[in-house]
Formats: sequence, structure tokens, C-alpha cells
Amino acid sequence: MARFFVLNWGILLILVAWEGWVAANDFNPIVMPSPQGVFMDMISNPGIYVENTSVTLFVAAVGLAGGLAVGTGLAILTWSSPLLSGIVSPTAVLFSSVPVVSLIPIIARILGYNMATEIAIVVIITFFPSFVFTTAGLRDLPHGSQDLFSVLGASRRATLRRLALPAAVPNMAIALRLAAAHAILAAMIAEFLMGTTGLGYLFAVTKQEFLTERAFGTSVVATAISVAAFLATSLLERRIRARFT
Amino acid sequence: MTGAAISIEHVTKRFPLKGQSAGVMALEDISIAVEQSEFVALLGPSGCGKSTLLRLVASLERPTEGTVSIGGEAPGSLAARHALGVAFQDHALLPWLNVHDNIALPFSLANKPVDREAVGGLIDLVGLNGFETARPGQLSGGMRQRVSIARSLVLSPEVLLLDEPFGALDAVTRRQMNIELQRIWSRQRITTVLVTHSVDEALFLADRVLVLSARPGRIIREVATPFDRPRDPAVMRSATFHDLVDDLTDALHPTDATAHAGR
Amino acid sequence: MPGASSRLIAIACGTAGLAGFFALWQVIGHYQLAGLSWPPLTAVLQYLFDPDRHALFLRAIDATLRSTIAGYLIGALTGIGLASIAYTLPMLQRGSDRFAAVVNSIPSIALGPIFLILISREATPAGVASIHVFFIVYVSMNSGLASTSQAHEDLFSALGSSRLKRFLRLNFPSAVPAIASGLRLSWPAALIGAIIGEWFGAPRGIGILIINSMQNFQINLLWSAVLLAAMASLFFFGMLTLVERAAYRRFR
Ligand SMILES: Nc1ncnc2c1ncn2[C@@H]1O[C@H](COP(=O)(O)OP(=O)(O)OP(=O)(O)O)[C@@H](O)[C@H]1O
Ligand SMILES: [Mg+2]
Repeated sequence: MARFFVLNWGILLILVAWEGWVAANDFNPIVMPSPQGVFMDMISNPGIYVENTSVTLFVAAVGLAGGLAVGTGLAILTWSSPLLSGIVSPTAVLFSSVPVVSLIPIIARILGYNMATEIAIVVIITFFPSFVFTTAGLRDLPHGSQDLFSVLGASRRATLRRLALPAAVPNMAIALRLAAAHAILAAMIAEFLMGTTGLGYLFAVTKQEFLTERAFGTSVVATAISVAAFLATSLLERRIRARFT
Repeated sequence: MTGAAISIEHVTKRFPLKGQSAGVMALEDISIAVEQSEFVALLGPSGCGKSTLLRLVASLERPTEGTVSIGGEAPGSLAARHALGVAFQDHALLPWLNVHDNIALPFSLANKPVDREAVGGLIDLVGLNGFETARPGQLSGGMRQRVSIARSLVLSPEVLLLDEPFGALDAVTRRQMNIELQRIWSRQRITTVLVTHSVDEALFLADRVLVLSARPGRIIREVATPFDRPRDPAVMRSATFHDLVDDLTDALHPTDATAHAGR
Repeated sequence: MPGASSRLIAIACGTAGLAGFFALWQVIGHYQLAGLSWPPLTAVLQYLFDPDRHALFLRAIDATLRSTIAGYLIGALTGIGLASIAYTLPMLQRGSDRFAAVVNSIPSIALGPIFLILISREATPAGVASIHVFFIVYVSMNSGLASTSQAHEDLFSALGSSRLKRFLRLNFPSAVPAIASGLRLSWPAALIGAIIGEWFGAPRGIGILIINSMQNFQINLLWSAVLLAAMASLFFFGMLTLVERAAYRRFR
């Protein structure tokens, strides 16, 4: 019990402040629902929540896998060719310091309003952290290991497989943690803007139709899956770090 | 010098250094010939270029002037044949592999099947029984160095380069490792260059001891050890041994030199 | 000097890559390889720098940057504040980590409506931006504080320093480089927050241009607005990189 408070005092504080604030101002539930009202809506309409959550999770997961695969693949390619690296990396780094989320409307316009576009958006947005961190990881080698591999006559392939890739794994884990958060956010923004399916869509329509309790319920669910993704990927990252360093 | 396993001829090595147009002169016009199956030890003050010399032989650096060759070949071809064994100052173990896999790594890089018996034997030799599955992060500094030494020997290399391999060990373990290395070496007679700061270690292990001057490194003293092989640790208590220790120590510290000036 | 020439080569390659990217953009747009929604670069630039539209774009970027900077400062200060409190009162640490993670996990599009009620239409972009910045700075500062060397900790303990003094004299200075990195990385996130925040009825801003032009098929306007946002992001990101370098030089 004490442990629960030690871990979750911040969240409890938010809930109490929310409830108190709503009570103090006597808000109409259409303007600002109470936590209780939101909770009631969630347990009385589980179907809607489950359906849209699974769509968003699907888009985020497929896009995330794609983004990580493309990012890692390109990182390996640039590792193998210094010339390619010199040409591609500055542009990629430039892109990762740009508000990529603002690209979502552009991609939506180009590819059309459908689920494939949503996935493509997630791929593009998760590509950047994956590429940047994997590229850095492939070059962040244990002290002296490069000399060792050179002295032992390791081929370029063997160096990639046995040195650079394992050395990059902790960075890939960081990329996964960052990209997972980006993936859920990107999926929701895409759904929100294009009005197709999923939690982002549910949020957009319920807000428009003044179903405020449901809109908040959608946010709570989205927050919960983001927190779950964050905790899971953080745990994984810690495990991997302990294993690889 | 024909017949030499390692031949270093008139080698100069200069490192570029920011703010200094001439750069750092690490080695100047140095010539060393190491015979086949000879064990040579290098002594010298810190920063005199001993590691640089080994790195030149390992083809990790290129000489600014002069040539380095191994058995008539360019030093790089030895590495390409997976016939070089090294244990450098920093152990360079891979943190994600356990002790066994770190020692077995050279097999994988040479595309050879892992000789588990050889790996086991070396783990035994360096006294790491029971630590096969430990990872480098769980070992002490000295244990890591021992893993690195085992790794350098696992392919039975043609040439062995050791850069202060026992630097992080306590005196007792170091002595033990010296005795072990002497024993294996006397059996296999791998052409070896050892860099060390310990005069005792150099004399006990090597056939020939070279003393380098402060930077830029030049050879200022050369001593052939008169002890038979396999060597008994008792030689370290002999009068000849002590005389040679005094001789080399003087060469290393010319300021408090009494009789021997650098030649 | 091999260093100088390899640097030149790197710059040449990077420039070539960037030029290639712009050329590709131009070619795809020119031949309409990606349809009508992908205009050539020159068309976008022409649109963006057309004197008739200067006022429009300036007003928008001005509003967005104001919100971004306000949110950035608020977020950075709260991040540093909470990390400091949690570090000096260790019993709060785990709960505050989770609090930060949860707040950061609230999807930005859901933050919009909350801030709308909580503060105002005008302040919502800054509010959303501040949340993004808060988390990044908080996490960076935590890892910076954790990077204090044990030897120094021991020294301060041996000298009998109080926890607060140790924090001010040792832990905080050790964390400065990490905080500077966090401040750099959180700038694009702040801008994203401000843009999303603007979607919830802000009177003006880049986000408004983006969403309106997307809905009304004003392709050149859409691309121009995004390009403008990217340029603003890069400019400040570059400045913050310089700050970060200075921090590393001074505190490492
Ligand atoms: N990569 C490098 N770049 C610039 N200077 C270098 C480089 N490597 C070595 N040096 C310089 O060359 C000189 C010799 O270095 P080296 O490492 O060979 O010394 P050492 O004899 O092995 O010393 P120690 O006993 O401390 O290991 C030093 O002055 C060092 O600063
Ligand atoms: Mg050295």
C-alpha cells in the first residue's frame, strides 16, 4: 500500500485535483466532466473503446516495426559505406531536428486518407529516432575493440555482425523507447486529422458532438497505452543495457 | 636483416598534434630485428613510444619513415591470415560476451570452428575456472587482463604482441602469470614482443631486453639474458639476475646512474 | 593537414546529400510524380517569399514562436524544478518519475481541450508546448544528476556537506551538460506542441495555417507553412547546439 503511494502519488494528485476542480467550479459535464463521469462512460461502453484502441495499436505497432526496420537498415547501409553516410546522415539529422509531426498533414494529402497512410506516417516518424540512434550506436564501440578486430583480421562483415551490431543494441533500445511514444502519438494525430478510425478519430468526433465524457475517456485510454508502452520499453532498455555494457 | 621474423628498419613515427606544426615525434630512426622464435622485451619511460612500436608491428599505425615487415611480408598480411595474437594495455573485451566467448572470439573472426578444448585449457591456465559464463563487467581489472591474455594465445599465433599485459595485476598474481607465460612460451616458442615496466619481468621472460630512451624513443641499452629454458623461478634469485636488474635500472633512470651511461 | 581536408570532404558530401534532397523534391514536384499534393520546391519558395504574403506568414510565425518560447521556458523551469525537488527529497523520486511519464503520455491532441478550459484559447499552444519540454528536460536532468561521479560524492560526504549544499555545489553543476542537451532536444518538441495546441482554436499561428490549408487543399500554403516551421526549428536548434557546446566545455 505504502509502495503504491510512493510510486503513484503524482497520478493520484492529478485525479484529486481534477475532481476537486470540477466540483469547485460546478462544471457542466459537457464542458468538463469529472473523473467519475469519465470512468462510468468507459465501463458502460467497453466495445467502442476496445475497437478503436485495437485499431490505433495496430497502426502504431505495424508502423513502429516498419520505421525501426527501415531506420536500422539504412543505418547499416551508411555504416558500410562512408560515402553514403557522408551524403545521407546530415540530411537525416537535419530532419530529426525539425518538427516532423507537422509533416503529417502533407503526407496525408499526398497518400490519401486511409489506414495505409496512417501506417506510412508512423513509419516515417519513427524512422528518424531509429536511424539517428542506431547510426550513433554502430560507431560507439568498446574501447580498443576496433584495433582488436583489425589485428585479428576480421572481415567487414564479421566486424558488423560481431562488433558494431551488438554495440548498437543499447542505442536501438533507446530508439525503441522514443519511437514507441512517437508511434502512438503519430497514429493518433493522423487519425485525428484524417478522421478515419481509431482513438484519434474517436476523440475528434466525440469532441465535435460534445460527448465530452467519451472524449476524455479516449484520452485516458490513450494515456494508459502510452504509459504502458513507456514502462515496457524502459524496462526493456534497462535490461538490455545491463546485458550489453 | 634476413631471417628476422620481425624487422623494423629506420622507423620514425610522428603524430600530428594540434598547435604544434612538427607534431609529436614518438619514435626516431629506430631499428630492431626480432629473430624467429625469439622473445624480446621492451623497457622504457612512459610515453617513449613502446605502444606505438607494437602498433606499428600490428599494422594499426603506419610508419612516417622506414619500413616494418614480418617474415618479409607487410605486417597487415599477418593479421589477414589470423596469425597475430595481441594483448594490449586496455583489455578490449566485448562487454556483451562472457569469458568463454571472449576467448573464443578469434576463432569466429577467422571463420574457424571453436576449439572448446583449447579455450578450456587457456581458461584453466589463466586461473579463471568457474568464471566461464561471467561477463567482463563482473570481473576485476586483473581478471579482465587475464582473459585478454588467454584470447591472445588461443589461435596459437605466429607472432605475439603483449603491451603491459600484467599491468593491472597484483605482485603475486603477476609473478604467477609470468611463470605460466614462461612455461607456455618455452613450449610453443612464438615470436614475441613484450612491453613492460617491470625489469624483473623483462629479464625473466625475454631472450633479449631493449631499453628505449625518453621520447623520441631510441634504443639505449640491449641485454641478452643468459638463462636456459624452461626457466625456473629460482633464476630470479641468482646473482647474475640481480646484476642485470641493476644494469637495466640504471639505463632506465640515467639521472641516478652511477657507472653505466647510456650507450 | 589531413584533418582539414577530411572535414572539407564531409562538408561536400553533406551538401551534396542536401542538394540531392532538394533536387528530388523539385523533380517529384515538377513532374507531379506524387500527384498534385507535392509541389516543386521552387513553387513553394516562390509562394513563401511572395511579398504579398509576408504579413500573413510573419503574423503566423510570430504567434507560434511566442507560444513556443513561453511554453519552452515554463516547461524547462518546471522540469528543472521537479527534478531538483525529487533529487533532494528521494522519497518523492519514483512517484515523480511516474508522474512525469504519465503527464508526457497524455496525447497532445487531448491536452488541447484541457488547456482550453484550464487557461485560454490563446495560451493553449504554450501549455501543450510546455508539457513536451517539461518531460525531456526532467529526464535529461535526472540522468545528469545520476552521472555525478561517486568519488566526488564521497569527497563531499567526507567534508560533511549538507545534502542541499552538495546539490548546489556538486550535483547540479554535474547535470548542467545533460540539461543543456535536454534543452536542445526539447526545442523541436516545443514547436510541435505549439502547433498542435493551435489546432484548438488559437486565433493565428503556423498550426492554423497548416490545418486550414490541409482542409482547403491549398497545397502551396500547406508546404510553405511546414517549411517555415522547419526553418524556425532549425534556426533555434542551431543556437541551442552552441549553448550546449559551451555548457560541455565549461562543466566537463
Ligand atoms: N594516436 C596518437 N596521436 C597523437 N599522439 C600519439 C598517439 N599515440 C601516441 N601518441 C604520442 O606518442 C608518444 C608515445 O606514446 P606511446 O603510447 O607509444 O607511449 P608508451 O611508451 O606506450 O607509454 P606508456 O608506458 O605510458 O604506455 C606519446 O607522447 C603520445 O602522446
Ligand atoms: Mg603504452
